[in-house]
Amino acid sequence: MSQSNEAREAVGDYKAGWHDPENSTIRFDFGLSEKVVRDISELKNEPEWMTEMRLKAYRHFVERPMPTWGNSEILDGIDFDNVCYFLRSSDETGESWEDVPEDIRNTFERLGIPEAEQKWLSGVTAQYESETVYHSIREDLESQGVIFLDMDSGLREHEDIVKRYFGTVIPFSDNKFSALNTAVWSGGSFIYVPKGVSVEMPVQAYFRINAKNMGQFERTLIIADEGSSIHYVEGCTAPTYSTDSLHSAVVELIALPGAHIRYTTVQNWSNNVYNLVTKRGVAHENSKIEWVDGNIGSKLTMKYPAVILKGEGSHAEVISVAYAGAGQHQDAGAKVHHLASNTTSNILSKSISKDGGRGSYRGMAKVMPKAENCRMNIVCDALILDEGSRSDTYPTMEVGNASAHCEHEASVSKVGDEQLFYLMSRGHTEAEALGMIVNGFFEPFTKELPMEYAVELNKLMALEMEGSIG
Amino acid sequence: MDSSSEYLSLEEPNRAVHLWRYTPWKRVHPTGNIRDIPDEVSAPKLSLSCIEGEIPDGVRLIHGSGKVEGLPETDATTSSFMRAITEESSWTVEVDPGFNAGKTVVLEIDAGSSISAVHVCLKIGRHANLELVTLVKGDCEWMGLLRTGTSGEGSNTSDVVVNLMDGGTLLRVDAIHIDRDSQVTAGTISSGSEMTKSDLRYRMGEPGGNLNVLGSILSANEMSLDHHIEIHHDAPETYSRLDWHSACGGNSKTVGTGMLRVAEGSRGADAAQLFQNLLISESAQADSIPELEVSENEVVGCGHGTASGPVDEDQLFYLGTRGLSSEQAKSMLIAAFLNSTLTEMGSQEMHDWLVEMLSDDLVSLGT
Repeated sequence: MSQSNEAREAVGDYKAGWHDPENSTIRFDFGLSEKVVRDISELKNEPEWMTEMRLKAYRHFVERPMPTWGNSEILDGIDFDNVCYFLRSSDETGESWEDVPEDIRNTFERLGIPEAEQKWLSGVTAQYESETVYHSIREDLESQGVIFLDMDSGLREHEDIVKRYFGTVIPFSDNKFSALNTAVWSGGSFIYVPKGVSVEMPVQAYFRINAKNMGQFERTLIIADEGSSIHYVEGCTAPTYSTDSLHSAVVELIALPGAHIRYTTVQNWSNNVYNLVTKRGVAHENSKIEWVDGNIGSKLTMKYPAVILKGEGSHAEVISVAYAGAGQHQDAGAKVHHLASNTTSNILSKSISKDGGRGSYRGMAKVMPKAENCRMNIVCDALILDEGSRSDTYPTMEVGNASAHCEHEASVSKVGDEQLFYLMSRGHTEAEALGMIVNGFFEPFTKELPMEYAVELNKLMALEMEGSIG
Repeated sequence: MDSSSEYLSLEEPNRAVHLWRYTPWKRVHPTGNIRDIPDEVSAPKLSLSCIEGEIPDGVRLIHGSGKVEGLPETDATTSSFMRAITEESSWTVEVDPGFNAGKTVVLEIDAGSSISAVHVCLKIGRHANLELVTLVKGDCEWMGLLRTGTSGEGSNTSDVVVNLMDGGTLLRVDAIHIDRDSQVTAGTISSGSEMTKSDLRYRMGEPGGNLNVLGSILSANEMSLDHHIEIHHDAPETYSRLDWHSACGGNSKTVGTGMLRVAEGSRGADAAQLFQNLLISESAQADSIPELEVSENEVVGCGHGTASGPVDEDQLFYLGTRGLSSEQAKSMLIAAFLNSTLTEMGSQEMHDWLVEMLSDDLVSLGT
């Protein structure tokens, strides 16, 4: 039996669960130390301020205890000494797929990235382990001044912009995992959209972990200047191993006055990946930030995309779906802080728990005392499909201004027998009927996705529903 | 292990949990030193009466309290501390099986010294029908009220606690077991004390339990009111509703945290909770955290909601067109908002009595 067939047999229905032989050009030993942090920075030939920031973040990470909220049982299982913090698979970032090493190129071809790029994307960056191996952007966008680079190149080529914004939305001291990311970050995307430029087609980043016990710590910074707009899509997969990998990203968005940023994630890590991500955006006057966040994979996800509504008239939108299957805990949610007057926010969260999985919504919605006439609306719906599965909702609403209108509602239910009966009376099997109901449940999310992603997600969910009844 | 040892063996409560996030234990503790169990705790005066007429046969106040089975088992900080300081001051309200007097029974607790605490245990007999108002009043720096109890099988109880303290701090800890096929309406009216911390826990450990938790909270001036309500569905075919209305004026701060927990095996559970905050003044603050943990898929439905907002402009305008001044209209709307939960707490007799008692506070809240 070939290696990839063996892997596929082991991973079952998880289509992205195969792995390639590891051909690294540089691989650090397991474990984290100040030397590892210095070595990463030196290897990338970074300016001194970045090295200093990394070291401060590392010290903060070491001192800061693990969070005591959330699923401590799973979280405490992370062995930080058994993680590889840097692995370089390719000596350079290719600008055409031919420049990418063949085995890595094959991986991305199997994942359908080059095909998607030709059809419907403005630019693509593909990260394999710690660094970007492929990167491209449409020429017309480049000529309009749009910068779309991997973060390492962004720091090299646009140090002034990076220095101005890096860590301003999410400082390293924000939480233990933002400190870890700041200490050992590598890869990720750097985007700057100039004033008034509207990037019509999405840009995409694809993140792949291939090696065992790998840590991936990409760092993304998106700045949309006044009146500009951009849609960024990211996808992620990893092979299934019996040992765990760690993914801890930090994403910072800055929407300057009148700008619009949409950030879409379809997270489909294998079930041995800890996915501990900090995502936050700052919205200035009359700007809009949207997080469209799908969590299908991983062992434990802790991710609460946040928006700071700093400018008057700004708006936040979060649509989040999560599927928690066997052995998974999707601890997802959203945070919105209304700092300025006349700001509005909408949060829609949907989750499905099945085969003993646990789906949690954890949110924070806050209106500051000086923010007049704010409005927020939060809706959480959850489906529990079988015995032993679990759904939780932990929303927090803090209202410090009397003119605010704030609403939150949540419901947990099972799939209605009458819905199943109706669809089966029309000739569908139980599994098909359930698949349709689940796809309908997720529809507010899928309709916001680019078509190819939506089709793929619907297929994936139908596959997950097979054999779930009877 | 006795209660004092149990309390001292506990670690400082984790502020990451919502029970302690907004009002930490250190702020509520009578001396501020959480390793301390104060010696000099006086017992408040307790008396049992009726709104109208004599106390009927079949209900009595007895010194001392027994162990109650089936109580919720979560964070033991408040319960072990309260047990430790009320060992000499515990009482039982005992209600005979089949009791049905058609009267509202009033338990008055009058606290007078610097630190007072009492443990009241409710023992409600099978198929009893009881309407009980517990009135907490007096001028006391720190008052602790521990209430434990069980509703007898098939009983029907309206259990309303009214806080009318002149100032100071009230720590209220409830642990109530709802027995098979029994119905409990648990009402809270808060209009006194500068600081209130309530840790209210209800457990439906037998099938057919029915619980309706209601709150009418008047928060004014510099008050800080923090109510935590846990409802545990630990048996099949159980039903619960929570409707919590807080009117927030002055520079006050109100917090409502709810935990609705449906355990695996609680098939047919039907649970919902709703927190509503009416923000009356610019500097008032209201925080709501209704949490939900559901581990059973065969539920009728589980949900929660929270809403915060100012007095509705359209309603004010409508009342203005009917000749009311804006102050009158505002007071009327605030009263209606609080009354919507108050009316559900018990009989008309009890409702009228409570409204009369609270009318001055309602007027001052709206102005």
